[in-house]
Amino acid sequence: MSGLHVGLIGAGGIARAHLPAWIELGARVTLFSTDGQAEKLAARHSARGVEAVRTLDELLERSRAVDVCTPTHTHRELVHTAVRAGKHVVCEKPLALSVEDTEEMVKAAERAGVLLFPAHVVRYFPEYAAMERAVRGGAVGPPAVLRFSRTGTYPVWSPWFADPELSGGILLDQMIHDFDFARWLAGEVVRVYAQSRGHQQAPVEAGAVAASTAVLTHASGALSHVHGVWGLPDSEFRTTFRIAGRDGVLHHDSAQTKAFRVVASGERAAGEGIPATNLTESPFVGELREFAAALDGGPTPRVTARDGLAAVRIAVAAAESARTGETVRIEDATGSNGSRETQEVQAR
Amino acid sequence: MKVGVLSFAHVHAAGYVSVLRGMPGVEVRTSDPETDLAGAGEVRGREFAEQLGAAYVDTYEELFAWGPDAVVVASENARHRPLVELAAKHGVDVLCEKPLATTLADGEAMVAACREAGVRLGVAYPVRFSPAYAALRAAVRGGGVGPVLTVAGANNGWLPDGQRAWFTDPGLAGGGALMDHTVHIADLLDELFEDARAVEVYGQTNNLMYADRAAVETAGLVTVRYDNGAVATIDCSWSQPVHHPTWGGLELQLVGERATVEMDAFGQQVSGFDERRRAGVLLPWGVNLDEALLRSFLYGDDGRGSEPGDGEPVRVADGASGLRSLRIALAGYESARSGHPVALD
Repeated sequence: MSGLHVGLIGAGGIARAHLPAWIELGARVTLFSTDGQAEKLAARHSARGVEAVRTLDELLERSRAVDVCTPTHTHRELVHTAVRAGKHVVCEKPLALSVEDTEEMVKAAERAGVLLFPAHVVRYFPEYAAMERAVRGGAVGPPAVLRFSRTGTYPVWSPWFADPELSGGILLDQMIHDFDFARWLAGEVVRVYAQSRGHQQAPVEAGAVAASTAVLTHASGALSHVHGVWGLPDSEFRTTFRIAGRDGVLHHDSAQTKAFRVVASGERAAGEGIPATNLTESPFVGELREFAAALDGGPTPRVTARDGLAAVRIAVAAAESARTGETVRIEDATGSNGSRETQEVQAR
Repeated sequence: MKVGVLSFAHVHAAGYVSVLRGMPGVEVRTSDPETDLAGAGEVRGREFAEQLGAAYVDTYEELFAWGPDAVVVASENARHRPLVELAAKHGVDVLCEKPLATTLADGEAMVAACREAGVRLGVAYPVRFSPAYAALRAAVRGGGVGPVLTVAGANNGWLPDGQRAWFTDPGLAGGGALMDHTVHIADLLDELFEDARAVEVYGQTNNLMYADRAAVETAGLVTVRYDNGAVATIDCSWSQPVHHPTWGGLELQLVGERATVEMDAFGQQVSGFDERRRAGVLLPWGVNLDEALLRSFLYGDDGRGSEPGDGEPVRVADGASGLRSLRIALAGYESARSGHPVALD
């Protein structure tokens, strides 16, 4: 692992979460961004050998693996470029904005024989990982009804989030975390219904609220409710889940599990859009370690490119449902037999 | 005041009798002659009344001959109608267990019978009287929450076949978890949103948990769209483990443009651990909602004493609102069958 040379593309919020994780893992990191921030970010970590380069080609030359931490609408092109250059790729979720684009990316990586790893980091959050292990072990029996919620401040720090053309909106950008997790736990999703409310367009100002609610029906018959909120500026980042089956129930509310709390500070603190530390190992470290280990012949990471594709399929179906008011059926959630046309027809 | 309790089929009957017996100036008589559909080993009729220490008569006619001021109907869901019609015939105000009925035709007939007889018809939705709901309502009605965007609600409970088998009989209960639990949150939102109406319902159900024990759905998610722009998703599942120390609960999170608020109607409990029994302990200490409901129905006052500025106090659900929450549940079933959202007229 030590000595893995990683090219990190982007210097925004998620790049700033991945960079310390890469450093902790002993990677050599080269940064590139088009917004002029890469140089500043590299300078802050220069003691750890982090360098910024001026072109994408330079980054590719130096790297064995590329980590795409850019706005969603740029993932497709960057992933194709990296795959063409023969690099293994970490790509922030969602992989892309459409099922077709994502499928092409997944197939390109498969053809090139490189690993495409969608960064569905929630699978690495310790509370979620603990629950998943327990559910696999039969703690609740076959899951029957699952609930997930996720609330953070509206991501106003970068204008593309609020623009559904660029981010896919809250269903693709935020709730995809829980779509992925629900599918991981309860299996393929065959029907989706969603409704969206609030401010779901660009431009956005602090104080806006967007909220969506989605109901997933899994092939097993299990049902998942996913509720996502981009909230007011004082929204504490909060996640909840409740997983129920005949043999038990497991639930979590991040508001109840804080090992350290500020009880009073004289003023109402601002909330967060990206979770603060959990006082455990950063889930970003766990996530990137699994990717890096796989490059050195280790086990396949718990989240694959096909999982990333399936998550996009669910999120796109949810967005379609929210737009049309109808349910959207998903014929082939893994895309493994190339039934894209069927899915498209059904989605309309 | 004379109050009759008709039927012990519903598990709430015992609670109503006990609250009524504790109310000063209230005389209680009970009757439970129709026990033909009771499950094996269920204690009903005179024997049950004796256990409760309540006065008992053998027939409903005898009970009405006693001249009650009001009656509470606690029969199986599908048998509400004849008892409500009997109360209407005798000119007696009637508080009916929820859901109002299992079919729209029955519900409409009950509302019409009470209207024609000039008696009050109330539907027993006790969570309306939860102090947590009162606070949520004040936050929404006071404008602090702003326009409501989404609501996430959960009303989960034990599989309710333990004390009364009919709860999982589709004919008598009108369905399973969806019928049993969707209506509580639908009723709260009906009260909360005042003139706003549900316009569309999407429902999905399964029976993955208890296929061997119940012939009805035991899990469900129901999404309701309102004409004020709000959309609510309700988890109505009987997904509380059967041996959990508490029966379940009711929680609601409401995301508005200006605030996000949430309530937990049964969250007021001391929790701990009992080493001798080697089990968790939960000691509920919140308001007795059945008592607030009955006080409101009988005296028009839930006993809490409202503060000036609280606005219109919460009232017992009337027949019309009971019909509206029933319509939502019925549309949920229709949607679950078809896989598509169902519009309400």
